[in-house]
Amino acid sequence: MIAAEDEMPVGKRRSSLMRSPQFSSLVILVVLLAVFAIADANFLSPLNISNMMAFLPELGIIALGMTLLLTAGEFDLSVGAVFGLAPVVVMLLVQNGGVDIGVALLAGLLLCIAIGAINGLIVTKIGISSFLVTLSMLLVVRGAALYITQGFPLKSWDQPGFFVTLLAGSFNVGSFRFYTSLWWFIGLSLLAIYVLRYAKLGNWISAIGSNRNAAVARGVPADAVKVWLFILTSVLAGLAGMISAFRISAASPVAGTGYELEVIAMVVVGGTALTGGRGTILGTIVGALMLRAIRNGIVLIGVPGLAYNIFVGLIILAMLILHALLQKNAARG
Amino acid sequence: MMEVLRLQNLQKSFGSVRALKNACFALKEGEVVALLGDNGAGKSTLIKAISGVFPIDRGDIYVRGEKVSIRSTRDAMDLGIETIHQDTSLAPDLSIARNLFLGREPVKLKWLGVFAPLDFAKLRDAASALLKRVGISKNLDADALVSTLSGGERQSIAISRAMQFAAKVIILDEPTNNLGVEETHGVLRFIKEVRDAGHSVLLITHNIHHVFQVADRIIVMRRGEIVAEQTVADTDLLTVESIITGADMSALLKETRAK
Repeated sequence: MIAAEDEMPVGKRRSSLMRSPQFSSLVILVVLLAVFAIADANFLSPLNISNMMAFLPELGIIALGMTLLLTAGEFDLSVGAVFGLAPVVVMLLVQNGGVDIGVALLAGLLLCIAIGAINGLIVTKIGISSFLVTLSMLLVVRGAALYITQGFPLKSWDQPGFFVTLLAGSFNVGSFRFYTSLWWFIGLSLLAIYVLRYAKLGNWISAIGSNRNAAVARGVPADAVKVWLFILTSVLAGLAGMISAFRISAASPVAGTGYELEVIAMVVVGGTALTGGRGTILGTIVGALMLRAIRNGIVLIGVPGLAYNIFVGLIILAMLILHALLQKNAARG
Repeated sequence: MMEVLRLQNLQKSFGSVRALKNACFALKEGEVVALLGDNGAGKSTLIKAISGVFPIDRGDIYVRGEKVSIRSTRDAMDLGIETIHQDTSLAPDLSIARNLFLGREPVKLKWLGVFAPLDFAKLRDAASALLKRVGISKNLDADALVSTLSGGERQSIAISRAMQFAAKVIILDEPTNNLGVEETHGVLRFIKEVRDAGHSVLLITHNIHHVFQVADRIIVMRRGEIVAEQTVADTDLLTVESIITGADMSALLKETRAK
């Protein structure tokens, strides 16, 4: 859907936009925000919004990579584990190895590239489904994080400096307090929108997910594109992990547990097809905002902490049912 | 007529299976050649070898008299050989325009490589012009998703894409499978138009009736070998059928005629 709309005349574009999955997600997001705001005045307070915006980029950045990967027809369950491992490795190098923080970050980056490349190469060259490959990788990576730390969280880098400012600096706008990670999220989102909708590469990514054989028959290097997308997703997961570790000044080997499913939920709630071919970055941004708002708002309106996953699950399910119905309608019309 | 494609002693084995034993044939400019054979006769192996899906073990391929080596689908496309499979030619979630130029997208700022922005104006204009030229524009919008098209429309789009890149040889793999009667006729008519426009067509099909409607020549394969080569005018349906199955149908033929 996204593939076509930017090329349509205005009138047609409007009607197709109304029926598009990211539009329905947006409507629901607005409704949810309104409900939470009415139920609890604190929901829209500067403090609460600042809070949500601090968490949003960390999962949102991973979701951008996951959207591209899902559009190409693959997915990655190891992102949560990479989110945990990357900062742990960086901090161990700095604290126990006496390595310079810049060099340690570079090592962390290379580690993420390696994990993504291994995922991608096994999926494309040996032909095992990405579900199984990245599930195994999740265990390996999480196990590695636990083993090298002996299960204890590490104190993170808390000395102010270039890298901390770059990844976890904060600034105030009026009574709002934002982190630089928000800029990362916005910048990477714009880049991802450009790539998927307007660049040649985006055409390839959608085509590979839609009909891999057709893409290959046209000379599109499908395997190479997929491997690079696995690498990208892994690197973004590591980046998000670093941002988080710097922000809270701690690197925990269990950080990011369960993030893989939360990220995939953000992506599909936004309207990206789990089966590939149809991806929307705008939808993913809406999805990320929505899951963040739900997690935050549900606690604010007084749902007991232990019950709140029930609601999160139900709202996601409702979203997916809505998308499926819209899809059916579009096919009939 | 000039020879566009010549295969000389092509051989290909998969393990101990000799899928292609000694295939030789030539395709002339502006002719439709039908490649027939039962399942497992080696038709798809031959097609895949020509279109660069896998390399051949032995033998030579000539395009317009020049010896070539085809190592990838890209190589085949660059030599003007386009292959169209029933289900694998188009991406249903992409628009017609995007499909027509898949892998050969018109871009601005070419130096950006794969990150170069698509030239949407050019994409749409070229797609509309193409749809008009092949006569399927009346109800097709270049921005429509391929998933909204019928099987016959998809087939026509895939074929016109091959024509557009001035393909010398267009290989059609079962183009009429799963199509309705009317759509089948549309595609067959389209094949004739393609030939009249000077392209050579290699047609793979199970349906012998279709062959007699559009083909100039028939090549029959059996167990990895080409066992017969005849012009359509010199043969008939029953003869071809008997060559394909390898059964002696002449007895049956006499019996039928006696009645």
